[in-house]
Amino acid sequence: MTAPRTSLMLLVARQELLLAARSRWTQIFAAVFAVLALGVSASGYILSGGHGFQDFARTSASLVQLVALVVPLASLLMGVMALAPERGTAELLFSQPIARRQILVGKLLGLLAALAAAEAVGFGLAGLVVFQNTGEDGAAGYAILVLGSFLLTAVFLSLAALIAAGAVGRKRARALAVALVVWFVAVLLIDLVALGVASVLPSTAASRLLILSVLLNPASAMRTGALLAIEGTAAFGPGSLALLRFTRGATGAALLVVVSLVTWIVLPTLAAVRRLSRADL
Amino acid sequence: MPALLPGNLEGRPAPADLSPLQARLDAAAPGAVVEVEPGTYRGDVYLDRPVRLIGRGRPTLIGSGKGSVVRVRAPDVVVEGFDIDGLAGGDLAADSSGVHVAAPRATVRDCRIANTLFGVYVREAPGVRVEGNVIRGIPGREAGEKGSAIHVWNTVGFTFVGNDIADARDGIYIQSASQGTIRGNVARRLRYGLHYMNSDDNVFEDNLFEQSAAGAVLMFSKRIQFRRNRFIHNRGFASVGLLFKDLDDSVAEDNLIADNARGVFLEGSSRNLFRRNVLAQSDIAIVLYGSSSENRFEGNAFIGNLSPLALFARRTDTRFDGNYWSDNDATDLDGDGRSDRPYTLGSLFDHLRGNLTAADLMAQSPAALALSAAERAFPVLEAIQVADGSPLARPPLLPDVPAQAPRGRRLDPWGLAGALGLIGTGLAVLGAGRRWRWETA
Repeated sequence: MTAPRTSLMLLVARQELLLAARSRWTQIFAAVFAVLALGVSASGYILSGGHGFQDFARTSASLVQLVALVVPLASLLMGVMALAPERGTAELLFSQPIARRQILVGKLLGLLAALAAAEAVGFGLAGLVVFQNTGEDGAAGYAILVLGSFLLTAVFLSLAALIAAGAVGRKRARALAVALVVWFVAVLLIDLVALGVASVLPSTAASRLLILSVLLNPASAMRTGALLAIEGTAAFGPGSLALLRFTRGATGAALLVVVSLVTWIVLPTLAAVRRLSRADL
Repeated sequence: MPALLPGNLEGRPAPADLSPLQARLDAAAPGAVVEVEPGTYRGDVYLDRPVRLIGRGRPTLIGSGKGSVVRVRAPDVVVEGFDIDGLAGGDLAADSSGVHVAAPRATVRDCRIANTLFGVYVREAPGVRVEGNVIRGIPGREAGEKGSAIHVWNTVGFTFVGNDIADARDGIYIQSASQGTIRGNVARRLRYGLHYMNSDDNVFEDNLFEQSAAGAVLMFSKRIQFRRNRFIHNRGFASVGLLFKDLDDSVAEDNLIADNARGVFLEGSSRNLFRRNVLAQSDIAIVLYGSSSENRFEGNAFIGNLSPLALFARRTDTRFDGNYWSDNDATDLDGDGRSDRPYTLGSLFDHLRGNLTAADLMAQSPAALALSAAERAFPVLEAIQVADGSPLARPPLLPDVPAQAPRGRRLDPWGLAGALGLIGTGLAVLGAGRRWRWETA
C-alpha cells in the first residue's frame, strides 16, 4: 500500500520530532533557553532597581537580543547534527522508497517542531513573569517576538540543511565547523563589515547600505522587526525614522522583514534539495 | 472695537460686548464678594476695583469673541470657579486671554478656560496666583496662531500651582519674570511645555511636562531650581526633555527625564548642577555644546539610553562623577559600590552614529558591542575622552524622583493565558514526541 506523498513526508517529520524530542541536545537547549529567558525577564522585573524602567519594552528587547544570538546557533548546530548523518545511516535512509526531497523537508519540519516547542516553553515561562507585571497591551509585541523566533529557527534550520547537504558522505565535524562560521557571519560579521564600509561612504549611500544589510541579513531583520514592533520608533531613535522612510512606512518595513525571512527559509531549502538529489552517495 | 489702554492693553469692552454681570461689578464696593449663580453669561467682564468674583455651581462665561473674557485691571482681585469660553476670538497682539491680569496680587483659581488664544495672561502683576485651573487651547489651530496657556511677562513674584494645561502653543511661558514658584502643574501636547526668557531665581517643583516638541526650553536666565519634575515622552524628531541655552548657575535635583528623543540639552550654559536625576530611555541622554562649561552631573541614574552623550566640541570641562550608567559592564570587585574602572561616555560606535543616523539601527547589536569591546582592548582611535571617574556599580535608590507612571503590579490575564498556552503546547509537542511508538505511525 502506498501512502500519499504528504503523509510520507509527515511520517518522516514525526520520526524526526521523536528523535529530536528524545535527544539530549534538544532537552539541554530547552532547559538553557528557559533559564536564559526566565533570567532576562526576572532581572527586568524583579531584580531591577525599582524605577520601573526595565518595563515591558526593555525586557522584551533583551529577549530579542537573546533570541537573535542563541536561536541561530542552536538551529544551525542541531540542524547539522540531525541532517548530516554518518555514512552508513545515510545510505540506509536514502535507500528507502521515499524521495530525498521528502526526507529532507520532513526532517526539517520535525526539527522545527521540536525546536519551536523548546523555545515555546522558554517564552511561556518568561511570559509568566512579564505578564504578571505589565498591564499594558504588550501581548501583541510579545507574540511577534515568539513568531519571529520561530521564523528565525526555520531560517537557520534551512541553512543547516544546505550545509548538511554539502557534507553528505563527509565528516560531520567539518559541517559543524561550517555551521559555526555561518553563525558568526550572520550574527556579527555582516553588521561589522556593513558598519565599516558605511563609515567611509558618503552618507546617503552609507545609510542605504546599512538599511539594506539590516533587512537582508536574517538575524538582523528579525531583531530589527521585533524591536520596532515592540518599542516603536523609540527602538532606534532617528535610525528608525530613516528605516521607515526607506520602506515607506511601518507596513512596508514589516513586509520587507517577512519577505527577507521567508526568502531565507525557501531558497536554502530549495538549494539543499537540489544538492542532495544530485549527490552521489 | 474695544478701547485699548496705553501699551496695547485691552481696556473696558464696548457696551455691546459687556457681560450681564458687569452691572453688578460696577455697583460693587471695593473688597466686595460678587457671587455668580449657575448659568451662561455672554460677554466680557471688566474688573476695575478689588472684588472677589466667585462662581457658585460653575457658571459659564462666554466671551464676546473680540478680546479677553475677564480683564483684571485692579489689585487684589479674585476670579474663581468659572468655565470660560473665548470663542477662539481676539487678537494675539493684544494678548487676548481667558483671564487677562494686569494688576498686582490677583488670584485666578479653579477655572476651566478653553478656546482662548492665551489661557491666563499675567502682565506686570507681582504677587499673582494662578491655581488649579484647567486650560485648553483652540483645537486644531496651528501653534503659531495661538498663545500660551499661562503667560507671564515682566513680573517679580508669582505662583502657578496645580494647573492642568494642554493643546496651547506653549504651556507656561515665562518672560522677564523672576522669583516665581511653579509647582504641581501638568503640561502636555504643546510646542514647549515650558518656555522661558530672561527670568531669574524661579523654582520648579513636582511639575509634569510631557508629549510636547520640548518639555522645557529655558534661555538667558540664572539660578533656576528644578526639583522632582517629570520631563517625559517628548518624542518628536528633534525633541528635548530639558533644554538650557545660556542658562547659568541652575540646579536640577530628583527629576525624571525619560523617554525623550534627547534628554538634556546644554548650549552656552555654565555652572549648572544635575544631581540625583533619572535620565532614561532617550536616544541621547545629554547633548553638550562646547560653549557650555563647568557643568556637573553627580549621582544621576542613566538607564537604557541609546547613547549617553553627544558632544559638539573637542573637549569639555563638564564633569561626571558618581553616576550610574546602565550599560556600564565594569566589575566592582572591591565591593565599594563603585566600578573598578572609569566609565567612558561615548564609544567608537557612538562616533559612527553621530555622523550617520542609520547606524542607530545597529545600536545594541552584537556588532556594536564587539566594536566597543575591541576599542577597549585596542585603543587605537583617540576618541574624545569624557569619563565618569567613579561610576556607581548599582542603580542608586532615588526615593524623591517621581515614578513615570503609577507603580504597582498589574496583571495581564490574556498575556498570562498565552504564556501558559505556550508552555503547554511546547511540553505537549516534546512529550508527544517522546511517547510515540513506531506502531502508531
